[in-house]
Amino acid sequence: MSITEQRSSLYSLVSRIFIQEMDEHTLSKIEKIDNFKELFPNYFEWDKRQTLSRYKLINEILNVDFTDIAIMHLIPYETFYTREDAMIETGGANPVVQIYNDYGYRVDLDRARVVSPDHIGVELEFMKILIDAQKKAEEDNDIEAVKQLKEEQKRFLEDHLLAFAPLYFINVAEQARTPFYKDAAKLALEFLLEDYEYLNK
Amino acid sequence: MFIESRRNFLKGTAATIAGAAVAKGVFSTIVEVPAMADETTFTNTPKTLQFYPPLEEWDDFKELDGDDWKRGGINRKGVQSADNPDGIKVNDYIIVPTVCSNCEAGCGLTAWVDKKSLVVKKYMGNPLHSASRGRNCAKGYGTWSQMYDPDRVPFPLKRAPGSKRGEGKWVRVTWDDAMKDIGKKLADMLRRGDEISKKMFIYHVGRPNENGFGNRIPHTLGVDGYDSHTNICSAGARQGSIQWANDDRNSPDWANAKLIFLQSSHAADAGHYFQQSAGLIADARKRGAKMVVIDPRLSNSAGMADLWIPAWPGTEAALYLYLANRILNEKGKNGEDLVDHEFVKNWINWKKLMKDKEYLKLMVNRGYISKMPEDDSYESFISMLRELYSPYTLEFVVKECRLEGQEYKLEQLFDMVIDAEDKIATYLWRAGTIGHRGGWMNTRSGFLVLALRGALRGDVGGTSWHHWHKASVNGKWFDATVSNGKKPEKVDVWNEYPWPPEYPLATYELSYILPHLLMDEEWKRKWKAKGFKIPDRLAVWVPRMYNPVWINPDGFRWIECLKREDLMELTFNLSPTWSETNWYCDYVLPTGLAGERHDQQSEPSKPEKWVAFRQPALRVALEKMGWKPKDPTKATLEAHMKAGLGEVWEEIEFWANLIVRYVDPDGSLGIKKYWASKEDPSRPITIPEFYQAAFSLLPNLKKAAEAAYPNSKYPCYEFMRDRGAFTEETNIYKPQEEEVKFDGEYYYSHGHKYHKSEVTKDDEGVLWIDSHGHKKSIGVEIDGKIYQGFHTPDKRLDFFVDWMKEYQWAEYAIPIYPRNKREREEMIHLVTHVHHDYMKGENEFALNTIYRLPYMIHTRSVNSKHLMEISVNHNPVWIHTSDAKRLGIKRGDKIRVRIVDTVSGLESGYFVGMAVPTEATRPGVLACSHHAGRWKLKNAVEIPGFEHKLGVMGVGAPLYEMSMDGKIGKMRAKEGIDKGVKKRKDSWQFKEINKDLDNIWWDGLTGAWQNAVAPVHPDPIAGNHAWHQKVIIEKAKPGDKFGDVYVNYENNFKTYKAWRDKLTRPLNENIKYRRPMHMPRPAVPLSEKAYLNPMYKGNKEV
Repeated sequence: MSITEQRSSLYSLVSRIFIQEMDEHTLSKIEKIDNFKELFPNYFEWDKRQTLSRYKLINEILNVDFTDIAIMHLIPYETFYTREDAMIETGGANPVVQIYNDYGYRVDLDRARVVSPDHIGVELEFMKILIDAQKKAEEDNDIEAVKQLKEEQKRFLEDHLLAFAPLYFINVAEQARTPFYKDAAKLALEFLLEDYEYLNK
Repeated sequence: MFIESRRNFLKGTAATIAGAAVAKGVFSTIVEVPAMADETTFTNTPKTLQFYPPLEEWDDFKELDGDDWKRGGINRKGVQSADNPDGIKVNDYIIVPTVCSNCEAGCGLTAWVDKKSLVVKKYMGNPLHSASRGRNCAKGYGTWSQMYDPDRVPFPLKRAPGSKRGEGKWVRVTWDDAMKDIGKKLADMLRRGDEISKKMFIYHVGRPNENGFGNRIPHTLGVDGYDSHTNICSAGARQGSIQWANDDRNSPDWANAKLIFLQSSHAADAGHYFQQSAGLIADARKRGAKMVVIDPRLSNSAGMADLWIPAWPGTEAALYLYLANRILNEKGKNGEDLVDHEFVKNWINWKKLMKDKEYLKLMVNRGYISKMPEDDSYESFISMLRELYSPYTLEFVVKECRLEGQEYKLEQLFDMVIDAEDKIATYLWRAGTIGHRGGWMNTRSGFLVLALRGALRGDVGGTSWHHWHKASVNGKWFDATVSNGKKPEKVDVWNEYPWPPEYPLATYELSYILPHLLMDEEWKRKWKAKGFKIPDRLAVWVPRMYNPVWINPDGFRWIECLKREDLMELTFNLSPTWSETNWYCDYVLPTGLAGERHDQQSEPSKPEKWVAFRQPALRVALEKMGWKPKDPTKATLEAHMKAGLGEVWEEIEFWANLIVRYVDPDGSLGIKKYWASKEDPSRPITIPEFYQAAFSLLPNLKKAAEAAYPNSKYPCYEFMRDRGAFTEETNIYKPQEEEVKFDGEYYYSHGHKYHKSEVTKDDEGVLWIDSHGHKKSIGVEIDGKIYQGFHTPDKRLDFFVDWMKEYQWAEYAIPIYPRNKREREEMIHLVTHVHHDYMKGENEFALNTIYRLPYMIHTRSVNSKHLMEISVNHNPVWIHTSDAKRLGIKRGDKIRVRIVDTVSGLESGYFVGMAVPTEATRPGVLACSHHAGRWKLKNAVEIPGFEHKLGVMGVGAPLYEMSMDGKIGKMRAKEGIDKGVKKRKDSWQFKEINKDLDNIWWDGLTGAWQNAVAPVHPDPIAGNHAWHQKVIIEKAKPGDKFGDVYVNYENNFKTYKAWRDKLTRPLNENIKYRRPMHMPRPAVPLSEKAYLNPMYKGNKEV
């Protein structure tokens, strides 16, 4: 697996975890990752993961925690962190909409069930889209396009994700009540920082 | 902790993460959405934030529907199209520029006409209007709900035959029926052709919002029959301006001033050019300008000012003369004089005063000065001023203005005036100047301060005069008529109803005492006996968008007079709404609001000349879409009917049709030629013909129009139709210093040339010519150069107004104010009738009535549910907390406010208001705006043969019951607005727009009709109604309700007589003209014959 594919997969993973509640199918996929234990060490060890039914684990424990860290108490939107008045910019002035548009994409807010396109899960998925585009360019040997796409990824990280995601993930790691989300937050943060280093090389 | 424990995902886990490709997949590709493919102009991320599309797109502009957007926006729904019917709706607009008509400012509007439904969906600003700059206040946007008021008058109404005025019985008639009846009445009157018949028509105009059209209706009819509303509005201020500069009002350069000097809340807060001025003032303050507000009330402006001086109302002149004293007698930081000698010496008419030894003696005799000046020099003039104003000390002004404890503010004020140098911008208007007897002296003394500092030079940041900053073009319409540009002759009669012999110097018509005069047989007899020809009645009285019953003082007197068919034979109101006055008229003829009529408007809101064009938006849109009227002279009426607005017309087309087709169809009265088209003399002039002629008066506009529409027959009309505004000239500073050209043979002045042999120069440097037997000045020579000068006969600013002597007011010919109690009694004409001298008891107050509520200024806005929601017709009585405590009055208490006149000593009655203790009015002074207290006597009227009832002012007036017996009038509220509306919430008119009527929650019951109680107070010199009142307050009696009104209007009639007979100095046999000839009557041009005083001994020889 190339680094590009690897990056795409990781963005895909963290995007999914933070965009919506967990479901049985996705959780099972995650737990089937080979190095699942390495990525989610505390969750792996967590007794409730073993003792509760899947239904109870997801609906009564994990999703309640998700509601806490992504809907009720922590706000996973860029503009909440970057605007002085701490308001989510839901209108046309949202800072990422233009970038999505420039690449010919729109966010299906209904499907994402988010109030604005600068949700952390959406932005992480957008990184995946950029990386997938890079992969296609690599396959076509279009070196210039690869370079441009990597620059765009770097810029998007600098201008958007890194402007708020570290703060958000630190908050999640501290406030989450389940090892799953604590582990996921640490994983996501460390990956973002590493990816940024990678793009800077 | 994260950094320390970092793992290496991209290498260490590389082989194993593949299974985690679990992304939700929330992105979709835009290009894959077919509905969006041809709608790429819509985006929710505009590159720039602009409220208005570029002009090129105004005829065809598509915009996403704001309401429909709420379903989810285009991100979720896409844009509506055949392929995507669930997408967000797109409105297809024609954007038609027009002009707001809800105050005098004339801000630009654009009407957004939906092409499919022919409905105006919204009103926005006009970005091409250089003074309003695309912005509006609430009243501008409120135009929309006025337009689609559920209670609009949908067709012409006539008082039902056999019913009496005020019974509320109406029948539907056509415009042609109405014109036939009115035309015959007018024609019969005019055919008599004698002096009396030329005084039997009065066109009574509320807020005109046009320049130079309305006055030409009586002028073309050849009658002296125009009544403005100005004497209840602003005539006090204008008197002072006319005395200083023979100019109607001043014109400040707010944006560049260092000191914004406001007397009352006007300009920044509510009115005269409110929205435009407020923006310019904000610009100036952003750059560091200071703002002072002199007002007994802590208005919004005062609240945000650098300095608020709550002087006792009506004593402001004393404050200004105090400033004058200090400017004259103190030195600057470096020992320099504070007087701008260069300006004063050159541009103030001091020479005239110093030559007038007789007047100087009068000044000595009256104790203004102690001795005659040493000589006629400028230095002696200044020395004399220093003595003249030295009594106006800090101690004096603190006592007179009741500013004890606020001496420090006067120091600050003086420093602000001095620091601002000549960059002091002011608009001395309304409250202080129209509230009081002698209010005009506020302007006289206020402008003295500015003159001494050079701020009246009209340079950048200073204060100039209005006619230089305004462009009036309507008079040019005759170019497009059969008269071929020839204007009607001057009218050779003088109508004593607008201008009674007691008020020769009145700034404007005494329109508000029309019913008093008509009902005053003694007055008529008295003047007839002296040779005046006064008709016993009026044949036709035409209020135009005017509602004197409600807004004029002594409303019951108006009702009493209007009911008298022997005094007013035929009455019709050209009115966009129901009103209290309409109720008593013979015809209610529905005319258009801001987006439903043609008017040209220009106002002096900044140092430039802009013109704006009010238009019927639906007509313009229809015509652009290819629609053609059956009769081009009635296109506005037909367009409104076609678009479903109702039989709503406009005045230009109405008057042209009335006169050409019904008053003078064969031209035998000599009137038709001013209204019949040059293109086709058989029909009235059309709008494009009218405005092509009118706008072509402005050379820059004409040039731009011809360049933009090279193949058009009416380029100026089309240019303004499409833009709505044009700025003819900018940066008009120091216009009096424009030089008069002299080529050695000829002088060139204001478009005329005069041979040097015709021109004489007097020893003050003024150049005179002979004009039809009268001397007329054309310029003034100063230091070897000849300038246009100011508008006064002596071409300078008149510190000394010599013609006041001839009209028996010599003692007030200079800025002056009584200095002690004895002088206040002698010089009563300058002393406010609510002076603190008159307040004896602990519950006696001055009532400040004339501050505008910025959402409810004129009668026409009563029908806007949006504006009414802001105002809710709630209008409490402000009382200072210390006064309230002393009298045991708490917030929300009902109080009786009894009005007592200080000239007649008579009591007028009372209204019941709601007390609100506050520190936002000064002690001793109550505040309650007179712009409230609307009422109606029926919720709706039935029209025989028409399926729906017509609602009456449903959103803005509570239902009242009224009784009146010729002496006593009473009003009591029966039902609030909310309850009245709920009964008929499913209004038949404009249903879709009015489906929210059940949201109306306001009852409107706390704003009493105080104008009914107020007696008239005609200022003996300026002629304006002095609005403020002396009142006595007491707690309400058991059974009293908010809004109760009790009026002894028999007493009010005596008060009118007392003010007239005790205070005026009427014409006598020594006065040649009814008014100084250089001070023309403001509306209808009159001949010298008309000006002649019939009592004058020497008149037989003229």
